[in-house]
Amino acid sequence: MASKTSPTGKLTAGKTGQTDVADAMPLRYGDDPYVWACWLYYEEGRTQHDIAEIMGISRATVNSYLADARSRGIVNISLEPSRLSSLAIAQELKRHFGLQDCLVVPSDDGSRTLIDRLGTAGGQAMAKLLKSGDTLAVAWGRTVLAIAENTAVTGLQDVTIVQATGGTRASFAYTPELCASAMAEATGAKLINISAPAIVSNAEVQSAFLREPLIEEQFAALGRANKALFGVSSLRPNSTIHTSGFFESVSIQHYLAKNAVGVVAGRFIDPQGHAVAGPLDERTIGISLDMLQKIGMRIAVAGGFDKVPAILAALRGGFINVLITDAATGRGILNADGVTEIDQRLAQRTRGEGPVPLPSNVRTHIKKFLNNPDQVVDEMLEGVLKAHAGYIAPIKGSNRALVARNGPRAGKVGLVIGGGTGHEPCFLGYVGKGLADAVAVGNIFSSPPPGPILECARAASGGQGVLFVYGNYAGDVMNFEMAAEMAHEEDIPVRTVLTTDDIASSPVEDREGRRGVAGNFFMFKIAGAACDRGLSLSECEAVTRKANDRTFTIGVALEPCSLPQTRRHNFEIGPDDIEIGMGIHGERGVVRDRMMSADQITDRIIDRIFGEMNAQPGDRVAVLVNSFGATPLMELYILFRRVEQRLGAKNITIATNWVGHYCTSLDMVGASISILHLDQELSDLLRHPCDSAALRIN
Amino acid sequence: MAETASRFLSRMFQLIAMAMQAEKDHLSELDGAVGDADHGITMALGFAAVNSAVARLDLDKVLPSEVLSAAASAFLDAVGASTGPLYATAFRKAAQVLKQDESLSPAGQVAIVEAIAQGIKDRGKGQRGDKTMLDAWIPAMEAAVAARERGAEPDEMWRDIVAAGETGANATRSMVAARGRAARLGERSLGHVDPGAASAVIILRAMRDTFA
Repeated sequence: MASKTSPTGKLTAGKTGQTDVADAMPLRYGDDPYVWACWLYYEEGRTQHDIAEIMGISRATVNSYLADARSRGIVNISLEPSRLSSLAIAQELKRHFGLQDCLVVPSDDGSRTLIDRLGTAGGQAMAKLLKSGDTLAVAWGRTVLAIAENTAVTGLQDVTIVQATGGTRASFAYTPELCASAMAEATGAKLINISAPAIVSNAEVQSAFLREPLIEEQFAALGRANKALFGVSSLRPNSTIHTSGFFESVSIQHYLAKNAVGVVAGRFIDPQGHAVAGPLDERTIGISLDMLQKIGMRIAVAGGFDKVPAILAALRGGFINVLITDAATGRGILNADGVTEIDQRLAQRTRGEGPVPLPSNVRTHIKKFLNNPDQVVDEMLEGVLKAHAGYIAPIKGSNRALVARNGPRAGKVGLVIGGGTGHEPCFLGYVGKGLADAVAVGNIFSSPPPGPILECARAASGGQGVLFVYGNYAGDVMNFEMAAEMAHEEDIPVRTVLTTDDIASSPVEDREGRRGVAGNFFMFKIAGAACDRGLSLSECEAVTRKANDRTFTIGVALEPCSLPQTRRHNFEIGPDDIEIGMGIHGERGVVRDRMMSADQITDRIIDRIFGEMNAQPGDRVAVLVNSFGATPLMELYILFRRVEQRLGAKNITIATNWVGHYCTSLDMVGASISILHLDQELSDLLRHPCDSAALRIN
Repeated sequence: MAETASRFLSRMFQLIAMAMQAEKDHLSELDGAVGDADHGITMALGFAAVNSAVARLDLDKVLPSEVLSAAASAFLDAVGASTGPLYATAFRKAAQVLKQDESLSPAGQVAIVEAIAQGIKDRGKGQRGDKTMLDAWIPAMEAAVAARERGAEPDEMWRDIVAAGETGANATRSMVAARGRAARLGERSLGHVDPGAASAVIILRAMRDTFA
């Protein structure tokens, strides 16, 4: 419409002058010439000169309309959020650490690895930073090699690449020799290797090598370097510094004990960036930290949040003045150094609005049915024991250890479950015939101590051993392990299956590190049935483990929960945000995202589950759509609807399903979806009869 | 001598319990950033239980090692969780060490700090830099050992121990959690002081106020 009317405007407006603006303006702009000017400028791409003619006003007026429109909020200039945030983070890093330059690649789009993205960015940076006549010292590492592979610089003269450390006999792909030669090849430079090992046997060998004229010459070249390129390595357990074999692990332990947090060009540094002295110092042949600091341009390329402490240390030590990293790591570095304004600024900018003002009647407390906040667990247990007296009874008068009335029997493996409270009906609702024999009850979100767990083991024992099944949390593991040790001393054999169904909580390589959430429901059911059928302890353990391996859960929280003692939210989830990968203890999720539709959220979860569950068309699954406490059944069914659609589209059959409150997190608003990938054995066990307060199958 | 020593420990646990009660909300807030916001509640509850268990002892008769054993069991039974086994193991280990020398001399005080740090390390299988209470306890232990080696006066020794613990706890701000629930937060644990390290400093300060 605008494009049709404006040419006529153009013909008439020029002559009629400013008084006719209202006539010339199309109706849709109301009486606001600002909006019209903006439309013409931003949407139609007209020049200010054209607009002045169309509107019949001076060019200066157009200019002031456009400026005013921005200040009045008619126009918001917005950059694409991920690019904006990486730019903002780069600027902040540059300012905070006084860097010469900083390049931050946008956060993960999921399509390429971090090393790959850093390699590309580093390659582009090298093309800008490297000049004719430069001598560049190149250290070693996966990221450094990725940069060399992504660099292609032509037209430079008299560039020299010097290997920054000696070589290695370790067999990884990114050795010092290879990194330096790849970079020399990529830049058409002259290559100078250090023809000595990076680590030699002792100090005498080191000084002998350094006295060799050839190596002296090579070191002199290294001393002439005016630029350096290196990675930063973390010392965390899974870092390549341990796996590459470059350093002996005994030596690394020595540096760790002296508080080293990172490695820069083969040298260990502490959190403040000071050199950490150790046994390798006199055995290392390579650039020293002092030499590195004297080089004019010191380009570090590193990313990954596990490297944040190491990169921060290198920045504090002044080893870096050009940093290339990714947005998540950059933000982590700033947060770790106490710069948190960046988060607020980014949140404001990407939302295009100021902070949401709190209404004057803002609540400070959540309403709850309480008598004494310190007695909630005990009062609840009193109620539970009255309500479900047919199923459970206290052991030796303690409500913190409960036994199934029709559970334990001679010759049967006993099943003991347990954990903190706040998850009701978990765990005590699953104690009964065909399910768990006993449950140990902790405080809110806290593992029970070993005492009640041991009582449960004694009560559940039928002479064939006891199986412990509980979620993988540090506290639960320590208390249940202590109890298992005590049970062994009493000749009660104990086997343990830790549930780890929350696939959002750790990547697949770290499956054992994942936590157990609502999928517990399936594991308890399978384990209970196996025990009830009279399988041996190791058979019960094996099938429960299989169920755990085939159960996949992801939770999403819309609002956090509040503890009875504080009656406040543990943290806040923004008005338009959700937490994906939510656990069941009110701890934060794995990532925060914008609020989406129910189907979009379900799709996010299901896509992730499909990524790990190796299900074929025709396979059968069990589905659990579980409320975290405050989300009503109505919404759970909306989620289930989409789960069924997605499974149906893959021709996967839902053999059985549960929708409701099965493993909650106090009053959290949110839900989790669990899928158990069935086989014949698991299907049979799932159908096995059971009778407890929260689950009955006939 | 033994009576006085046991009363010293009783006094120490009272100071810890009072400080935990006072810092309860602060600790829970720290925990809210990385965990489930109950660390203050747990610590206050645990040391309140320790106090009532120690109050039931006849302090004129029991040995300091017995006070620590009682404290270990009371703490564990009251809280469970992860702090329960960690501090229970720590106090039990300290009790074993005290059996060699029940005098609570400065060297004995160092031995207690050492035993606590070692007990937590053994039970939690953790190390320095994991962003846990060990990041306060290990530097504190090192400061204690260093002070013993140079024969420092108790005042100076405890000033060093507390300072090292405080520095260590503050350093957790720039660490990425490797253990406990916060480990699953990845980079989101950055920028927050670990609540377990913060409560360790509270214990160290109370120990200083008792002994120095």
